[in-house]
Amino acid sequence: MKFNTIDIKGIVSPFSAIGKVLEHPKTVCYPAQTKTVAPGYRGFHTNVLTDCIGCANCQDVCMNDAIDMVTIVEERNAKNKSGCIPRIDYGRCCWCNLCVDVCPPDSLALGEVCIQADEDSNKFLFFPKDSSC
Amino acid sequence: MDNKLIKIFHGPQHPGITGNMSVELDLLGETIKYARTHVGYLHRGFEKLVERRTVIQAFTIVCRICVPEPDPNEENFARAVEGLVGIEISERAKYIRVMVQEMSRLAAQMLWMGGQSGSIGMGTVGQWSLFDRDLMLDLFEELTGGRVYHMYTYPGGVRRDLPEGFLLRLSELLDYLEKKLPKYDSIFFDNATFKKRAIGVGVIPKEEALKNGYVGQALRGCGIQRDLRKDNPYLVYDKLDFDIPVFDGGDVYSRALVRRGEMRESIKILRQVIAQMPTEGAIMQKLPKHRKFTLPKEDIYVATESARGEFGYYMAGDGTEHIRRMQVKGPSLIHGFTLLEKMLIDEELSNVAMIMNSLGICPPEIER
Repeated sequence: MKFNTIDIKGIVSPFSAIGKVLEHPKTVCYPAQTKTVAPGYRGFHTNVLTDCIGCANCQDVCMNDAIDMVTIVEERNAKNKSGCIPRIDYGRCCWCNLCVDVCPPDSLALGEVCIQADEDSNKFLFFPKDSSC
Repeated sequence: MDNKLIKIFHGPQHPGITGNMSVELDLLGETIKYARTHVGYLHRGFEKLVERRTVIQAFTIVCRICVPEPDPNEENFARAVEGLVGIEISERAKYIRVMVQEMSRLAAQMLWMGGQSGSIGMGTVGQWSLFDRDLMLDLFEELTGGRVYHMYTYPGGVRRDLPEGFLLRLSELLDYLEKKLPKYDSIFFDNATFKKRAIGVGVIPKEEALKNGYVGQALRGCGIQRDLRKDNPYLVYDKLDFDIPVFDGGDVYSRALVRRGEMRESIKILRQVIAQMPTEGAIMQKLPKHRKFTLPKEDIYVATESARGEFGYYMAGDGTEHIRRMQVKGPSLIHGFTLLEKMLIDEELSNVAMIMNSLGICPPEIER
């Protein structure tokens, strides 16, 4: 295509964007407003301790070595012979959900909480319980 | 000072591409006389990482090979494993996978539009297109639980069934995008500034495109109708009616028009998928215990038509739970080296970012 003639349409049509000025803004005013996540979002883990059997399948499947099994003294499932529950290192976790896929009693899940900020890096070692964080 | 070449490095951070890649340029005034691509800023060793993990552990790595469109990687990986192990997925799972591929293509084209317009100083287009891409990512979040890395297309099917009312919401988004595309024409594709900048720039001769093995828009933008979805149909693409947009110019503008046409065709495909998708059928086939796949001593090559061209995976098994070798062949390798280095000669410095963007180069694919 050569520009022997003036491309009037091409010059005028971009100005249609001005119409957007009259529309309501699409952005949210963070942090006063936050966006809710969809149900089934892959956020921080939750673990129903009364169901967890301490089998360490989640630890075996984790390719990032983000899960280690730690002994607990709290009330736990009677079938939990190892006496351990998973502890997740969120410095390593990639939220792939494989640990949830291989959990035999379906006690482990990913919750909807997905924001955590702290100066202490040890706060990123979580013991997932019935609700996130 | 006359006729003295000046050497500059364009990148690794620049508006030309999504990712980090540098182009060493020798300039005579504003004109490029020599170009050489430098990569290595994003090397994460994907192919080697995959060899050290079990099949299902490797599944979570492949989507990271290309951030703008991770789904063709997942699709390739899943189909390669299914081909080696001998799993046939259900019709419903195939339709869902096609839906994911086309949603991913639309999102990738929206991101490209933001980059392409940004590279020539059109900020408004990028604002609009990234907002629209986010609407698609909202649907991905609902479907897969993640916005960018979906990890959804699994060897054996797909990971989750569709949420209730998902197809309706997808249909509403397609209605919105169909109304929005003419507005993109007004501010971007028909824009005199874009046409003035893009027509006749970064031209690929037709013969060279075939000889050198260029793919995607680089090929279709110079009049060659080639698309894996038609030429070697996978999943259920042979049951869907769609066209392959082709333009003859071979320049940046033709490649942009090809992408514009592909957005229209993706919407058409998605509408057919919504209408034809079976309501019954397993989304996931029976998998080995603890997802421990054992690959036979065989090899396979699978390819998917991504938003930027043919994306292929070669995979070889050795009778264990590990992948013996996996090689990724994305469109960026040939476009980022052979094509770009040749194309930039005698171009203006101000056109470098625009040309790079039109080729859809994604550096992690090169240094995988």
